[in-house]
Amino acid sequence: MTHLTRRSAVTKALRLAALGVAASMALTGVARAEDLLAKVKAKGELTVGTELQFAPFDFVEDGKQSGMNKEIFAEIGKELGVKITFLDLPWPSVLPGLEAGKFDMVAGPATITKARMERYRFSSPIADATVAILKKKGDASITKPADIAGKKVGTAKATAQLAQLQEFAKTLPTPPTIQEYVDFSQSYADLGAGRVVAVANSLPNIAFLAKQKPDVFEVVEPPFGKPVYFGYIGTKAADAKSLMDAVDAVLIKMKHDGRLASLQKKWFGTEMATPDQVTEASF
Amino acid sequence: MFDFNLIIKSLPMLLQASVWTVIYSLSSVAIGFCIGTLMCAAGLSASRLGRGVAAFYVSFFRGVPLLVQLLISYYCLPLIGVNVPSSVAAVGTLALCTGAYIAEILRGGFLGIPHGLVEAARMVGLSRAQILTRIEVPLAVRFTLPSLVNETTMMVKASSLISVVGVLELTRLAQNIATSTFQPLEIYLTAGAIYFVINGVITLAGRFAESRFRLETAR
Repeated sequence: MTHLTRRSAVTKALRLAALGVAASMALTGVARAEDLLAKVKAKGELTVGTELQFAPFDFVEDGKQSGMNKEIFAEIGKELGVKITFLDLPWPSVLPGLEAGKFDMVAGPATITKARMERYRFSSPIADATVAILKKKGDASITKPADIAGKKVGTAKATAQLAQLQEFAKTLPTPPTIQEYVDFSQSYADLGAGRVVAVANSLPNIAFLAKQKPDVFEVVEPPFGKPVYFGYIGTKAADAKSLMDAVDAVLIKMKHDGRLASLQKKWFGTEMATPDQVTEASF
Repeated sequence: MFDFNLIIKSLPMLLQASVWTVIYSLSSVAIGFCIGTLMCAAGLSASRLGRGVAAFYVSFFRGVPLLVQLLISYYCLPLIGVNVPSSVAAVGTLALCTGAYIAEILRGGFLGIPHGLVEAARMVGLSRAQILTRIEVPLAVRFTLPSLVNETTMMVKASSLISVVGVLELTRLAQNIATSTFQPLEIYLTAGAIYFVINGVITLAGRFAESRFRLETAR
């Protein structure tokens, strides 16, 4: 009798343990199978990290978010059937936040570079991001990009634009002094105040700025950087692939039906040809 | 040159953001006061463990920059499975940080209570708990009121850092507007004036409390 009881107790314990293992396996299985796109759709919300200081993509107008990102993501939200929630952070915090899982993807956009492609999954490009020089209106000492040799040039920290400027500086006879700012707005302010004579940033951004402040700033044509593109960013994690694929499908659809071109015209004043996918970055 | 219209246009938005600044900083000070009281009690306790915990707590939160603490709580804790929303990370970190300072402020207050007063209270037969609640805590708070008000104004200013974890407050909105309008001067001057007013009100409230609880009237 005692023997029997003890045996049944052992069996019971074993069964319980087996059940526990099975349950935990099932749970982890579910967690793995539940990919990001399914999660986003179940929640009905796509959370996007960005910085509202990157006109014309993201900026504040009358206290509210404005710009091209909001309009592109509105289309993405419509196609995926989800609400879009933006989270505004300083740019150096945005990519760490993506990796910490604070949001599903990043708007920005960011220049698609080799180094970043190794770590992140980029969306289909939405704009040309080739770097050019912004100068003060009427500054005759800078008429071509190489004229920044030996002068003080500003750009933002931790950006692809900085990397391109450093590369370009090496090709000049006297390298310029590069002043790194926390964000581009400070570099524009210092350009206005005369603390730097030029700012290096992607063409869409400075073209927009020069359009907004035509009596203060002027773009130096042509761009000096290697041809690069702007894309949105997701993680390379296996569970994020479905979401990034879905976003790409929407963006490519927008390229083909002209919606992206009309947004580019609205925000950059000109249409920009972009490939469906950047498989190899030039920089 | 100086654009008053921009100030008038941006003021309502900046005031709205400053409400968040006030909510985040004051709620952190309130929570931090509770943490500080506990840590102060631990630091003054007879238990060696309690004193050790308090000493470690204070040295960590006073020794590490608040900005780094915010970044750790938001970006590193998720790696060990603690994923809190922006607002919780912001208030929690501010509260933990100010708690360390308040613990030291209160400790100073307790140490400033004349020993004879406590002895006298014991002589007239008050219990240890009564001495604590009727004599020591009221005196310590009165002694330290100016420092506590000081700490509160520091936290209002420190709250300008919490935008790194994705929380909108006065400084962040001012930056966003300044960037979008390319007119930083007007916006930052306005934001500075709003901080000045908030801290002015806190200082006045502190003065009022000081006069209300003056040691003479407590006799």
